[in-house]
Amino acid sequence: MTAALEWLARQFTITFITGNRYKLFLTGLRNTLIIAFGAVVIGTFIGAIVAMVRVHSAQSGKLKALDKLCGAYLAVFRGTPIVVQLLIMYYIVFAFIDNGISIAVLAFGINSGAYVAEIVRAGILAVDIGQTEAGRSLGLSSGRTMRLIVLPQAIKNILPALGNELIALLKDTSVAGYVTVKDLAQAGENVRTLTAEPYFSLLFVAAVYFLLVMGITKILRVVERRLAKSDRH
Amino acid sequence: MIVIEELVKKFGGNVVLDGVSERIRAGEKVAVIGPSGSGKSTLLRCLNLLERPDGGRIAFEGEDITDPKCDADAVRRRMGMVFQHFNLFNNLTVLKNITLAPARLKIMAEAEAEERARALLARIGLPEKADAYPSMLSGGQKQRVAIVRALAMNPRVMLFDEPTSALDPEMVGEVLDVIREVAEAGMTMVIVTHEMGFAREVASRVVFIDGGKIKETGTPPELFDSPRDARLREFLSKVI
Ligand SMILES: Nc1ncnc2c1ncn2[C@@H]1O[C@H](COP(=O)(O)OP(=O)(O)O)[C@@H](O)[C@H]1O
Ligand SMILES: [Mg+2]
Repeated sequence: MTAALEWLARQFTITFITGNRYKLFLTGLRNTLIIAFGAVVIGTFIGAIVAMVRVHSAQSGKLKALDKLCGAYLAVFRGTPIVVQLLIMYYIVFAFIDNGISIAVLAFGINSGAYVAEIVRAGILAVDIGQTEAGRSLGLSSGRTMRLIVLPQAIKNILPALGNELIALLKDTSVAGYVTVKDLAQAGENVRTLTAEPYFSLLFVAAVYFLLVMGITKILRVVERRLAKSDRH
Repeated sequence: MIVIEELVKKFGGNVVLDGVSERIRAGEKVAVIGPSGSGKSTLLRCLNLLERPDGGRIAFEGEDITDPKCDADAVRRRMGMVFQHFNLFNNLTVLKNITLAPARLKIMAEAEAEERARALLARIGLPEKADAYPSMLSGGQKQRVAIVRALAMNPRVMLFDEPTSALDPEMVGEVLDVIREVAEAGMTMVIVTHEMGFAREVASRVVFIDGGKIKETGTPPELFDSPRDARLREFLSKVI
């Protein structure tokens, strides 16, 4: 019994206390959050624009070239692994910049944009086409109809899926270590090497990811309930 | 007011309007009747360019609106449309549904639009619904609001696409009453309908469409009492 407790105490000490290793985890957590939230902002921005281009093109037959370009973007970024995209961004596209975090934010953001685009597009298409036709029949432009009528209704379909995308993204960022970023997963791996003990370092990191995901899920539930309420009026 | 010449509309290989020509004069109330799938909705939707014609021409108040350079939004501001399924904006209150387009498009000031909207709501007996959302209204109430929404733009012509077909029977009357009132106020109207009694009473002229072509047109007595076209006789025998 005391032997077990002693072992636990030692593991705790070498994992967190010795050499202020807890700071490695804190830095890792901070970087992981920066990458995930930065990427979700970029991804939402890109995704919304791409979705709007695709919907507008499908409905009006205009913007054909731009639509093709968007289609290619979706195919490429959903058709290749995120780790490979990350490596290409770091070692080829931005080889002249040595800022792993910025490049990771960008790489994950561009990757996420491809998924968000489909989420937003599906959300827009789920709004009855009659809403658009009514807006247009009153002489409102397609842009105004989208902004004033369709998007406010689409947001209810989009937000929950966007939350799931944030969760997926948060976990995906754990490969950021490939481009020298000291993210949360990398912190665990780093401490595992330093302590030559896998248990505390890795299980702790897993627990932190899990709690983050749980937290986001909780927040999403609340938001969804709010939206459902405003739906009934 | 509206001159349609040899209008053609295809969906893929499906020719839905096959050379439709028609002239609608100011003040006319034209009822469009015909079997399901004959192209009635498509004709109406071509008039306000919700569908782009593939051939022929449509002139509205002297302007060729099938010209690619024509500003479709400007044309639609002068044409009201009422849909079978109402299509009220679900995210807006009844009042906002009515004032959105007139205010945003600067047809009138926000305050004026609201005043007018309230007056129109009072006229259709729904003044207390101004702040309600569409989901709280019955089908009949929704359609009456939809008519008022179109009227709020002060259109030159009103297009109705089966305005009572999606309603429970007990609500048909209240909607037809509103449409009748709009007609009596002198509005030019094109109304696709299966309500033959209403068409006979309100329409100044009836147009029968079948297979994407206008087969017969005339006053209600001419068309309903002494139909010449064989398909029209067959159609009338089924619906009356
Ligand atoms: N957007 C569309 N795409 C393809 N086919 C259509 C479309 N709209 C209508 N059609 C077809 O055109 C024909 C006429 O339709 P419609 O004008 O709605 O008839 P009606 O209103 O007289 O019942 C039908 O065969 C219908 O399937
Ligand atoms: Mg129809």
